[in-house]
Amino acid sequence: MALIVASSVGAGVAGTEAAAPKLLEPERAFAFSVQAVDERTVEARFTIASGYYLYREKLKFSVEPTPLTAAPVLPAGKIKEDEFFGKVETYRGQIAVPLALASAEPGRKVTVRAESQGCADAGVCYPPQVQSVTVTLPLPGARPGAPVAAVPARKSWFN
Amino acid sequence: MPNAMKSRRWRVAAGLALAGVIALAGGIYVRRDAGESATVNLRGSDAAALLGVALPDTKGREQSLGQWKGKVLVVNFWATWCAPCREEMPEFVKAQQDLGARGLQFVGIAVDQADKVAAFETELGLNYPSLVGGFGAAELSKTLGNRLGALPFTVIVDRSGHVAHTQLGPIKATDLRSIVGQLL
Repeated sequence: MALIVASSVGAGVAGTEAAAPKLLEPERAFAFSVQAVDERTVEARFTIASGYYLYREKLKFSVEPTPLTAAPVLPAGKIKEDEFFGKVETYRGQIAVPLALASAEPGRKVTVRAESQGCADAGVCYPPQVQSVTVTLPLPGARPGAPVAAVPARKSWFN
Repeated sequence: MPNAMKSRRWRVAAGLALAGVIALAGGIYVRRDAGESATVNLRGSDAAALLGVALPDTKGREQSLGQWKGKVLVVNFWATWCAPCREEMPEFVKAQQDLGARGLQFVGIAVDQADKVAAFETELGLNYPSLVGGFGAAELSKTLGNRLGALPFTVIVDRSGHVAHTQLGPIKATDLRSIVGQLL
C-alpha cells in the first residue's frame, strides 16, 4: 500500500528506489488567495504550509485589466545568507500584500496573477509557479468581498 | 437456522462491510491529506527517451545524452535558484573525478538560464557538462517519475540503458557511491 512507502528525503538504499518524500503540490504548499478590499484595492495573500518557504525576490504580482499604480510593497522577509546569491529574504506562514489599482473600478472583475517560487525544508525546491484569482471589486462604501482562493479546499474525499 | 440469528448475522456482515468502506475511505483521505509520494517508481524501465534528449550546453553546443550510452550515467536535474541542488554538487564533482575513468559520467540538466548556469559552472569548477533546459526541463523530469517537477531530481542509468535509480531530493554521498559502485 502507498501508506507503507518510506518517507524521508535522501534515505536512498543502494540499488533500490529511493524513498520518495511526501510533498504537497506547489499550489497547496503555497496557497494563493485574493480579497477585494475596496473599489481600487485588492489584497493578495499567500498561506505557506509549515515546512515550506517562499523567496521574496521571486514574488511578482500583476492585475488585469486594471493595472497597478506602482510596484507592490512586499513585506520584509527573514534574511538568509545564500552562498551563491548573497543575502536573500524568505517568507514563512502567511503574507499579505495590498495592491493599489491605477483607477477605481467599482463592480469590475479583475484578475490578480502571482508568480512565486519556493522550497521545502525537506530539501527540494519547486519551479516558479503562476496562480491567478478573479475577484469583483466592491461598490463604493460596500463591505470588502470574501477572500477567493486560487485552489479551493478539497470538496470530497476522492478529488 | 432461526430467522433472528440469520438477520443478526446479516447485520454483522453488513456492519463489517460498512466499517471496511469507511476505513478504506478514511485511509485514502488521510493519505491524500498527507501528500502523495512525490515520485513514481520507474526503476528498471528503458531510459531510451531520456537518452534521446539533446540540449545545448553552456557554450550553446547541442549535446545528446545518447553519446554517454554504455557508461553509468547520473543525470541530475538542478537549478541555480535551488539551494539544496547546489549543496550536493561538490560531491558530484568528487565522484566524477574519482570514478570517471571507470565509466561514471555525470550530466546536469539545469532548469535555468544559460548565463546563470555558466556562472555557477565556473564558480564551482564543474568537471562534467551541464545542459541548459530552461523550465521545459522540469517537464522532462516529470516524464521520468518526478510528479511535481521539484528539484534536485537525479536519475541513474546503467550501462545497458535502463533506469537503475531515481531520487527526488539530495543523494547522500555514501548512497551515491554505493549505488554507482554496484553498476560500474
